[in-house]
Amino acid sequence: MTSMTRAIQLGRKEKPKRGSLLLLIPGIASVVLLGILPLFIVARNSFAVADNYGGITDGLTLDNYAKLLDPVYSKTLLYSLGLGLLNTAVCLVIGYITSYYIVSRPAGKQGFLLLLVIIPFWTDFLVRTFAWITILGSGGPIAGVLGIFGIAGFSLIPSNVAVVLGLLYSFLPTAIFPIYASMRSIDGSLKEAATDLGCGWWGVQRRVILPLTRPGLLGAALLTFIPTMGVFVIPVLLGGGKDPLVGNLIVTLYTEFRNQPMGAAASMLLLILMLISMVLVGLLLQRSATKGSSSRTKRSSTEKGA
Amino acid sequence: MTVDRVVNGIARGVFVFLYIPIAAVIVYSFNAAGTNTRFEGLTLQWYVELFQDAALMQTLQTSAIVAVITATVATAIGIMFALGLARYRGRGRASLLALIALPLIVPEIVLGVAMLSVFSATKIPLGILTLVLGHLIVSLPLATLVLMSSAAMLDPSLPEAATDLGCTPWQTFTRVYFPLLRPAVVAAWLLSFTTSFSNIVMSTFLSGVGSTTLPLKIYSSLKTGLTPSINALGALLILLTLVIVLLVGVSQMRRILVESRS
Repeated sequence: MTSMTRAIQLGRKEKPKRGSLLLLIPGIASVVLLGILPLFIVARNSFAVADNYGGITDGLTLDNYAKLLDPVYSKTLLYSLGLGLLNTAVCLVIGYITSYYIVSRPAGKQGFLLLLVIIPFWTDFLVRTFAWITILGSGGPIAGVLGIFGIAGFSLIPSNVAVVLGLLYSFLPTAIFPIYASMRSIDGSLKEAATDLGCGWWGVQRRVILPLTRPGLLGAALLTFIPTMGVFVIPVLLGGGKDPLVGNLIVTLYTEFRNQPMGAAASMLLLILMLISMVLVGLLLQRSATKGSSSRTKRSSTEKGA
Repeated sequence: MTVDRVVNGIARGVFVFLYIPIAAVIVYSFNAAGTNTRFEGLTLQWYVELFQDAALMQTLQTSAIVAVITATVATAIGIMFALGLARYRGRGRASLLALIALPLIVPEIVLGVAMLSVFSATKIPLGILTLVLGHLIVSLPLATLVLMSSAAMLDPSLPEAATDLGCTPWQTFTRVYFPLLRPAVVAAWLLSFTTSFSNIVMSTFLSGVGSTTLPLKIYSSLKTGLTPSINALGALLILLTLVIVLLVGVSQMRRILVESRS
């Protein structure tokens, strides 16, 4: 920083700046050309009229969105919203408890516990999913144990219980990291002070830890809710495909029905829901920042800057 | 205090829950009973079968090629972006950060659909190229964020000293920046590699005839049922994850996953 200001004083300001702008171009171009521009094309396609082969023609219509309200599809949407909310709620509660446990361990042990969360997080998504077929299926350890007691024919594959477990297993590590991150930065003396002032365990959670962990919880919710609705592998492998999610709907519309305009409408729906939840989370973060005392406001703003 | 004990109990249960599937895959990959029904002693048979499956090996090759290209391109672009942003103090810095992180926020399936729409509109045939481009967009934010946290810690007087001593910009990069950033470069490459190698969402939309990736192959064979060979493959993929996590290093991993999220 100091040499930076020196460089500016020496009048060398222009040179490094222009060079660094050139370095940013490949990254910006990649995101714009491979991410943003294609999203606009999907948005356009969602209003297009499908030709006989489900391809894109030039027309302009709201039919594709209207068709999503058809009971066949709206059932999938409602089911996805429900399952998304359920998975988010369970991930937040368990993520909170797990983070609380990790934070309360000595610093040296925290790194190890975190590593235990990191390994499943990076493990291949498909492996994490089909592992549940092994566990819950007819040939798995649970069926084996029940067989000893004379209960034959146990299998939870396919079932909605397996889907819920599979979703939880896939998203729990994702939810733990942001919750742990904001819980870790809480000053330990706050908890002690609250206890000294007569707060019980629940009181400490409700008045101190929960409010200060809010940014992490909201971040975790954002990383769980909409992505859960977009999953398509788990309902097929663990649920037998009976109850599809929006993700399954999109895959089917694009790869089997080849109805691109309707697939685009379903994708836009997911994107719009994502934007709505982001705005909601933003508002909630703002409210918790203004509602709190000045010291708390300062804390959450420094956290956001980190 | 009793509540604390209950909480600790649940949390320990969570760690068990996280490792039950991993343990199950590994244990059953050595199971001599072919149909997964009971555990009947140890065998390496499924591992042998795995490597004799020519179709599977073909998809492994495709995935490896795509992942190596993706990781290399993502890391190269990430290095440029991280160094550029570290020296850029002008306006719009926050917007640039948001832009590069954008693909992390958009649901991956929507990104996949979006790229497919572009390729089908421009009649670009689906294959290795489209897979690489699709995987690039999901691994680039990760690679860049890893490199940015390291680039931000560099002392800006070092490259200046190099320039004053007569280094060309390229020499400054190879002699000053690269050695200092090496751990982050390795981490960015490895994490982009895994992201691409295990990707299923983008690949579902962007792979063409003859460019089936390993996860797509696993997924389609799982639809007809789980075989012991798939468990063996799963065990090998778990081993790969373990190696990569340890190579990247726990402290660096922690910085990526925890500190970048706060």
